Amino acid sequence: MPSEARILRFPERASGRRSPGDVLAIATDYLSQDVEERKALDVESTYRDLDVLLSICGALRERVNSNPSEVLAEAGRIFAWVTQQGRSLGYFDERDFFLGESALLAGSACRLLGENADAELWLDRADASYRHTINPTPSLTRVAYARLSLRYDMGRYKDVLELLPSVALTFEKLALHAELGKCHLLEASSLKELGRTSDAAARLQVMLSSPELASQTALRGMAMLSLGNIRSQEGDQEQALAAYRAAQPLLESSERYSTLADLKGLVAEMLRQLGQISAAVDAYRESVNDHVKLGMQTRAAYMRVVLSEALLEAGRPREAEWELLAALPTINEQKMVPEGFAAVVLLQESVRQRKTDPQALSELRQYLQTSS
Amino acid sequence: MEIPDESPAQSAESLFEHEIESVFQETLGLIHIALVSHYCMSEQEATELEKDLFVWFRRFCYRPGASPKDNRPFLLVACCQFAREYQRYVVDSGVRSADAQLESILKREPSDVAHDFSRSLQLYEFRRSDA
Repeated sequence: MPSEARILRFPERASGRRSPGDVLAIATDYLSQDVEERKALDVESTYRDLDVLLSICGALRERVNSNPSEVLAEAGRIFAWVTQQGRSLGYFDERDFFLGESALLAGSACRLLGENADAELWLDRADASYRHTINPTPSLTRVAYARLSLRYDMGRYKDVLELLPSVALTFEKLALHAELGKCHLLEASSLKELGRTSDAAARLQVMLSSPELASQTALRGMAMLSLGNIRSQEGDQEQALAAYRAAQPLLESSERYSTLADLKGLVAEMLRQLGQISAAVDAYRESVNDHVKLGMQTRAAYMRVVLSEALLEAGRPREAEWELLAALPTINEQKMVPEGFAAVVLLQESVRQRKTDPQALSELRQYLQTSS
Repeated sequence: MEIPDESPAQSAESLFEHEIESVFQETLGLIHIALVSHYCMSEQEATELEKDLFVWFRRFCYRPGASPKDNRPFLLVACCQFAREYQRYVVDSGVRSADAQLESILKREPSDVAHDFSRSLQLYEFRRSDA
């Protein structure tokens, strides 16, 4: 090439293009290593290939519900690495896209881990980066959906129902069926929380019969779980159990471990309503252990409070105290209740005196149930 | 019965890759005109930029949101944006002087220029389907 042909140097390109299968294999191999072991690796060589980085982000999207702690660690690392690279990373808008993508992943993981303030900050970062990409609409809509999920977690169900249709409409226009399905599930869950159970059940039935969601195992499992919960609340325990049974294999095959942990909690609740208190205690315990394993501290603390109630009901006050002693530090540290919340103060004192106050326990459970 | 060499997942991947390449190839003529005739780039500069554009477009199509065909307008926006950034840098650094035509297009928003090109593409597709 003559010297005047290229005024500026174009970036070096890799000599051979890898197939998507090869790229996925590199990403899978990298992610198969323990998060702690990955720290010792040379991330530069892995992340520098943006095809591989894109594939890692895709794999993390699939994992966020099953392993939020791992996703948070990896996404945070990607965000820091991309930030370090400056404007020279990739072509056109790729730096902004990867910043947005890693921030959205971290935000979604934080939400699942109950770290709501951090989740908001990560979602703000995602917004700020995606805004500068060439086609920001799908990405910004995914952030909007994550924000509504956060509002749902905060108990702001009316806000969710008001704002969700706009998000759903965008997903529908973009033919993002899985994302649209998530919106319908969030809508049904909000309707349920507001006591509109028949509207919620109808929405879930439509979802479950939708051909677009036939291959969305995780979503179908979650819809089935939610339907089971509604049937249980309506007193139809037979239908509830059938729905829970149908949900379990769907959630297992899609590796939705946090939802499976919730399923155990719901089964426990049903058993408790049926008067099978000992079996309910075992199921609650399994749910607590699963949440702990997943690093979902606030959810585990909530389940411990519910378990304590069941243990008191079963005439096992000492075990109830142990569960509360394990839950109260998280409740305080994670600010799950306002400072000086009377029920917590009373509980702490009653546990210290080895005479758990059932009224204070019930008030705390009710507060956490409506706020978490 | 013939046993396929590829698994269904690989086959879907190949189809997707093929679709990306088709969309890019179909738009390449227009991209080249935009770079050479409108953004006043040399043939070699345009060819180099087109290679970068393909690398970007391929990854862009793997982002969640749209099919390669739906992404064609964004390919044109990226083309115009990259061309403008390149020429602005060259002109500002004094390596090349801008004539009236180049100055005029550098003042326009890349998305507006791309929009005009999209209309040309729609007209081309309309004629092709008519034929």
